[in-house]
Amino acid sequence: MFLQQLINGIIIGAAYALIALGLNLIWSITDIPDFSQGGIYVITAYVAYFAVKMANFPFVVSLLMAMVLGAGIAFCIERFLYRRWTGRGRIQLLCAIALFFLLSNMAILLWTAKTKIFPSYLPGGISLVGFAVSYQRIVVLAVSLSLFVAVYLFIMRTKMGKAIRAASQDREAAEVVGINISSVNSAVFMIGGALSGTAAVLISPLYSVFPTMGDLPLLKSLVVVILGGFGSVAGVLIGGLGLGIVESLGGVYISSAYQHGFAFFVLILVLLFFPKGLFGRV
Amino acid sequence: MSDTALENKQKQKRARTRNLIILAVVLVVMFLIPQVTSEYVTYVVVLAIIWAILTGSYDLTTGYTGPLTFCHGAFYGIGAYASALLTLKGGLSFWVAFPISGILVFLFAAIIGYPGLRLKGHYFAVTTFFFGHFMYLVILNSVSLTNGPMGLRNIPPPEGFLGITFTSLNSSYYMILIFGIIAVAFLYFLVNSGIGKILISIRENEELSQAIGVNTAFYKVLAFSIGAGIAGLTGSLFAHFFRLLHPTTFAWMTSEMVVIMALVGGLGTLIGPIIGAGIVTLILELMRFAPEFRFIIWSVALIAVLIVEPRGLMGLVSRIRGGKK
Repeated sequence: MFLQQLINGIIIGAAYALIALGLNLIWSITDIPDFSQGGIYVITAYVAYFAVKMANFPFVVSLLMAMVLGAGIAFCIERFLYRRWTGRGRIQLLCAIALFFLLSNMAILLWTAKTKIFPSYLPGGISLVGFAVSYQRIVVLAVSLSLFVAVYLFIMRTKMGKAIRAASQDREAAEVVGINISSVNSAVFMIGGALSGTAAVLISPLYSVFPTMGDLPLLKSLVVVILGGFGSVAGVLIGGLGLGIVESLGGVYISSAYQHGFAFFVLILVLLFFPKGLFGRV
Repeated sequence: MSDTALENKQKQKRARTRNLIILAVVLVVMFLIPQVTSEYVTYVVVLAIIWAILTGSYDLTTGYTGPLTFCHGAFYGIGAYASALLTLKGGLSFWVAFPISGILVFLFAAIIGYPGLRLKGHYFAVTTFFFGHFMYLVILNSVSLTNGPMGLRNIPPPEGFLGITFTSLNSSYYMILIFGIIAVAFLYFLVNSGIGKILISIRENEELSQAIGVNTAFYKVLAFSIGAGIAGLTGSLFAHFFRLLHPTTFAWMTSEMVVIMALVGGLGTLIGPIIGAGIVTLILELMRFAPEFRFIIWSVALIAVLIVEPRGLMGLVSRIRGGKK
């Protein structure tokens, strides 16, 4: 039981960490807690669902579609909305929340509030003494971890990655030395959108697709961002896995009704005692 | 020089008389509504008044003092449930439960606001968003206390006194209207008092007002808690007016609607958010035939307000006036 919940926690935590990674990059560079990623999560999940269910696309193709779509939506949001209000954080935050509201409600309008079941793409699983893991869950973990490595390498090894690191430390100074901030912004938003889309498509087959599906993953990944501290890729991963494990175990041993409330307690505790997050800056 | 000063003074005097006349007309119309219109219209106006009090009290925190918050609906919900439970399970009279629920929410907000308002940047805004969602989960899941998703029924109406009963729609309308007038007048005097000036100074430049000796942390928590307390009282009225409560009434959509109304009207003007609440309630009501469109239109409207005039209707008005000169 304990081992089973631990593994479930790690898997859901990896998905939170994936969304949080994009949110973290966006927040640390543009100072926007980008709630609209919650909306992108919903829209990409629906599109992938229809791609698999109606058009019979293979799962991998729908995953790639979701990544491209997520990146595209996030790019447009940054380019046409957030960019108008550079330096006016309040308006950007309000706009982000309005977009989250808009995208989730668009899902209700376009596809009704009825819950949709994402077809299973990889039946079966491993069953050992004490726990069982479906292949789909292993895919969630494997894809999340490889994307983490990919983003880490991108940030550490490429020229754009270097620019992103510079901008997250000091925007003005980065601009002064000739870094193109607007392309840095576009890049982080596209990474964020792609990661949200991926997380949505990875998670949907485990749970289901419905218009408010983005609420809890969004809130929890925001907690993970705060937990992990800005600009720390490792912090996000540890924060995500940690929150996933706390939720899974707490749901069994403390209270299943408040399973989704633990994130709030964790957030309050961290903000009270570590206002800069658990890991701070890299 | 003195001529223009005199002219300005006269202009101010004229503006004040004009505002007083508008206020008097609005009050007379509000008092006549249940007498001359249908029950349905009265009901909609009650909703508009409730939204207006919520939005006005929200403006005290976010508009006048500065911090952006997204949990006003939660305070409204806590007030509603506290009052309903005090009367249903505690057997108290409404007239006792009403102030208690307000004080309870005030203290609750102070407990949240004291650690929360020290946070810089968007941390507090995100925390309040969470807090709102968390309270919804608490109301939804504490089945033994709140009856969970089944909701609370048979909440008693306020007890009558001096021959006035509050069981009819009209008498409840007048009670909510009078509470609304008192609440708005209180907010008006508060924001125009010395405290109001301190709050505005915190909004404009927190470091500076700290430097001149203002205990900014105290005033921020105070404004946050007063705003919340008024929302709690409004929740209590709502509970005893509709006499049934459901957790979804206090989900994050409610907090979101308060933010939208305040922005449509214009933050930091008090009158703007109240007008905004009226307009938004009216249009929401007119759009009852297409419920799935309502929130989409409002989120688009919010983005449009942010693009066109982030100061809302009041900003638009002052821009038009400024253009005329």
